[in-house]
Amino acid sequence: MTIENKKGWISWFNPFKYGLDRWMYALHRLTGIVLGIYLILHIFETANILRGPVTWNSIMVSLDWPFGVHIGPIILSLVFLAAVYHGLNGLRLTIVENGLLLPRPYRPEYPYKAKSIRGLNLVLKIILGIVMVVIGVIGVLYIFTGVLI
Amino acid sequence: MRESKLMFLQYLTGLLILIFGTFHFLLLSYLAPTTNKVLYLYLGNTHQLIGGTLYYSTVKEIYTTLLWGAMFEAFLTVLVYHAFNGFRVILSEQFQGPRAEKIITYTMLVIALIIFIYGSRTIVVLLTGGG
Repeated sequence: MTIENKKGWISWFNPFKYGLDRWMYALHRLTGIVLGIYLILHIFETANILRGPVTWNSIMVSLDWPFGVHIGPIILSLVFLAAVYHGLNGLRLTIVENGLLLPRPYRPEYPYKAKSIRGLNLVLKIILGIVMVVIGVIGVLYIFTGVLI
Repeated sequence: MRESKLMFLQYLTGLLILIFGTFHFLLLSYLAPTTNKVLYLYLGNTHQLIGGTLYYSTVKEIYTTLLWGAMFEAFLTVLVYHAFNGFRVILSEQFQGPRAEKIITYTMLVIALIIFIYGSRTIVVLLTGGG
């Protein structure tokens, strides 16, 4: 038995027709894949600590300066921001997919608006958005300057 | 296991990752056992690492503490489950049908176990005084 799957993964990243929730879904999936790959690489990278201080320190430096360019902090920041987004959006999904903080059903009237951009659900998104920005700024500032507010 | 149970575990591990992840970040910054809390402390303008929270002795001190070692082992467990169950969901949406589903599930299970054992090896060896 084969089930037709015409669009597949291409449609995940075509959020243009569907509004905010579809954008959040696309980003959630994208950051999920990136973080999963990072996790695997991170486990192999950190295993090098068993090879002694000289090897470890030189690997840390080469990760801060890959190919002699100081882009380590930029890569770390992107991973950090991906983690913050995936984490907080995941928190929202845990709440919403268990049926909480969704507005009451209503009669669909033109122009149709998704339930999920109304009421408490919208409040939740705004609050988590603010938290995301705050944590993101704190993290990126720390990565670049070493100062933790 | 039933899909609903797997997804329940996905939410549960997600919440645990938020907690453990916060500690992971704090251990690299505020809680790191070093006076200077930057990630990399270089000697002048050279590329010679002389300190910072990613310095060998700092990292080793964290990983030889039983509490943190145990926490990272738990962190690794929930992360590997969450990541590979996530991959499984994504792949089984892309490649549908019972045969594909089976292949995906067992492939993910095997890779997840390899990653888990390899990561645990690092933590356990450090905790038992090796490395």
